[in-house]
Amino acid sequence: MSDATIEVRNLRKRFGRTLAVDGLSFTVEPGTVTGFVGPNGAGKSTTLRTILGLDAPDEGEALVGGRPYRALRTPLLEVGALLDAAALHPSRRGRDHLRWLAHSHGLPAHRVDDVLEQVGMEQAARRRAGGYSLGMRQRLGIAAALLGDPPVLILDEPVNGLDPEGIQWIRTFLRRLAAEGRAILVSSHLMSELEDTADHLVVIGRGRLIADRAVSDLLAAASGDRVALRTEARTEAMQLLAREGATVAVTGPDTLTVTGLTARRTVELLTEGHVPFAEVGAHRATLEEAYMELTRDAVEFAAAAADDEVTR
Amino acid sequence: MTTTSTPTVTPYRSQLHPARAGFLRLLRAEWTKFWTVRAWLLVLAIAAVVTVVISQLGASGSSTSGNVEPTLAPDGTVVRDSFHFTHRELTGDGTVTVRVTALESADGRALEPWAKAGLIVKESLEPGAPYAAVLATPGHGVRTQWNFTHDTAGGASDLATAPTWLRLTRAGDRVTAYESADGRTWSEIKDVRLESLPRTVHVGAFVATPMHQILRRSFGGTSETAGGGVVTASFDRLALRGTSATPAWTSADVGGGVPNGPGPQDAEPGATKLSPTGVYTLTGRGDIAPDETLGDTVQMSFQGVFVGILFMVALGTLFVTSEYKRGLIRTTFTATPSRTKVLAAKTVVIAAVTFAVALPATALSFTLAQSRLRENGFKPPAFPDLSLMEAPALRAVVGSAALLSLVAVLALGVGVVLRTSAGAIATVVVLVILPQILAFALPLPAAQWLLRVTPAAAFAIQQGATYYPFVDHNCLPESGCYPMTPVSGLSVLAAYALAALLLAAWSLRRRDA
Repeated sequence: MSDATIEVRNLRKRFGRTLAVDGLSFTVEPGTVTGFVGPNGAGKSTTLRTILGLDAPDEGEALVGGRPYRALRTPLLEVGALLDAAALHPSRRGRDHLRWLAHSHGLPAHRVDDVLEQVGMEQAARRRAGGYSLGMRQRLGIAAALLGDPPVLILDEPVNGLDPEGIQWIRTFLRRLAAEGRAILVSSHLMSELEDTADHLVVIGRGRLIADRAVSDLLAAASGDRVALRTEARTEAMQLLAREGATVAVTGPDTLTVTGLTARRTVELLTEGHVPFAEVGAHRATLEEAYMELTRDAVEFAAAAADDEVTR
Repeated sequence: MTTTSTPTVTPYRSQLHPARAGFLRLLRAEWTKFWTVRAWLLVLAIAAVVTVVISQLGASGSSTSGNVEPTLAPDGTVVRDSFHFTHRELTGDGTVTVRVTALESADGRALEPWAKAGLIVKESLEPGAPYAAVLATPGHGVRTQWNFTHDTAGGASDLATAPTWLRLTRAGDRVTAYESADGRTWSEIKDVRLESLPRTVHVGAFVATPMHQILRRSFGGTSETAGGGVVTASFDRLALRGTSATPAWTSADVGGGVPNGPGPQDAEPGATKLSPTGVYTLTGRGDIAPDETLGDTVQMSFQGVFVGILFMVALGTLFVTSEYKRGLIRTTFTATPSRTKVLAAKTVVIAAVTFAVALPATALSFTLAQSRLRENGFKPPAFPDLSLMEAPALRAVVGSAALLSLVAVLALGVGVVLRTSAGAIATVVVLVILPQILAFALPLPAAQWLLRVTPAAAFAIQQGATYYPFVDHNCLPESGCYPMTPVSGLSVLAAYALAALLLAAWSLRRRDA
């Protein structure tokens, strides 16, 4: 096991009567961007805070490079973290925020300039943080995480509230950092934000692990044995295919998704039945679909529980 | 657990040399945090200016007529020195002995516990002249007192139940005090050295009493009147062994009977009656003791500190609660997982910064306030010039700066525990400021209790006056008198600050950030 990893083992954390994290285990490997996904309130931030030694787990443990975070002598050199971009004193300059962090580890002054350049904040860092846009705060937060040039990065919702340009910047940036061999854990409550960024996904709901898989696997599984069909004779196609035991769903004015039949069998049946069709292909699920499928139960459970709390 | 094997990657290796996160670096980080918030520097500057300015205003508001010529002890202390004295001259060495049989009030009021009847060796009849005395009191047994500011307890014998024998022996510049229950077995109380005592001195029996004090206190006003006090004491077996130029005992009122204080100026003079059986009955007024009714010009010089405290409370609190408010505390604990170390670094920085600013402010407050007080009549000899570099001024200047600094530390500790600015500031203000204000309104015992058990006890460090245990004095908060000694008063605040830090450390370890 490389030292540039995060390991979460059987983590359990309770806040009062709420079980925020319930027996969670996963690993983050070097050289990958691992997406940490779940609906709001799924326990993502609690898990991240526990990894960073801010919250004490009730059970289990979270290790960084094989050690609990609190045992690290120079944590900034081993883990860079962005938990909350708003965690800045409004009257302190962005640059000074990085300076005190650098001083805490005796880092050379040029590190502050280096990371500010990396995130493109050289100019803005001379101003007081109170006047920063959300995008500037996120960039400064990432600069702070990079200050110790750590092999592990933990970013909580770094894309949240960014404009498309900012989102694109962060994706490219994270890919580059991972390519350098860093282990990167990025949380998000929106799967679409991680499209084209994450290699691996850890999906949680209600504090429990739902999936821990490579993105490619997940997409393949979500696509399943479904067939996408484009036809002008929608009704005939549906009747014909349903008779053969398939489940057919309407996905557009002239598109259907067929489950239970292979693409080849579908073509055969339609040709035999003289039903015209324009296009038949294997269905490609989006990450969002894969995620919705995975978390459906968890979300419903969460919604029911939320209603329960409201009425209580 | 992963369904695909991760491609082999070389984990990232940093180019940075691993630096050790030592405590000095942590201090530097916290110091950087402090000075990079301009508002905090501003608050610090305002605290200093306000402390100096309010101290000036306070000093300007105090004045004294100061036209009474004070009686000064050999060490310069302002004293009362008046008593009725039946005396003879003694040249060279000798011994005077007497039996005190009674000490009673002669004005129909209760006897003061520190009324005095006994023997005295005095350099001259001038008020303020060096002396040594052995005396019986109604409330404090037999004592040896000399040169006004010194007191040693003898036996606990009570004149109400049995007479007491007293003896003073003079040998060169040494005077030794003895007491006895029967005039045969003598026990030494104290051997006193009176610097350059002349060959011829005055020895004999004396009687004196402090004045009665009447105190009326209500919120916003205090009336304290002192007056009266006449006592009669009976002596027999009065004997002098030694060489005397005066063959007979003569009587005199030293200090004119009523010393520099309130009271009837035309009071009856003292008197001595000698009965055929050799009983001397002395009636007199006045006291031999330090005068504690003068103002404390040291304490009067630091009234701005009271206001400066508010700024220190705000600074100490905000230094940590501003981090809780914005979640910045998580960044802090991510950079330094040891929370106790962070607390220690924050404490050192806030203590050092506030002390460094408070010290020049209190020194300047004192210096400027002293010249204001001079203009307002607080002049030598009653109010001698005080050097900034000597106790009690130095103690009050450094102590006031320490007080301001400790208040900031207390606020920091409370801030960590409560995590909110409003709650922490309110708590510390209630602890430090409120007792001071309540002390003016509450009955004296309650007020003094408050000024012992709350951090407000620390204001005692600003006292310059010495309060002697052998002088009954109404220690009034409104007159700048605190029930504790300067250093122990400041220690109460230090104990509160320490307790707040321990509670903060405990809370940091126990709670999630």
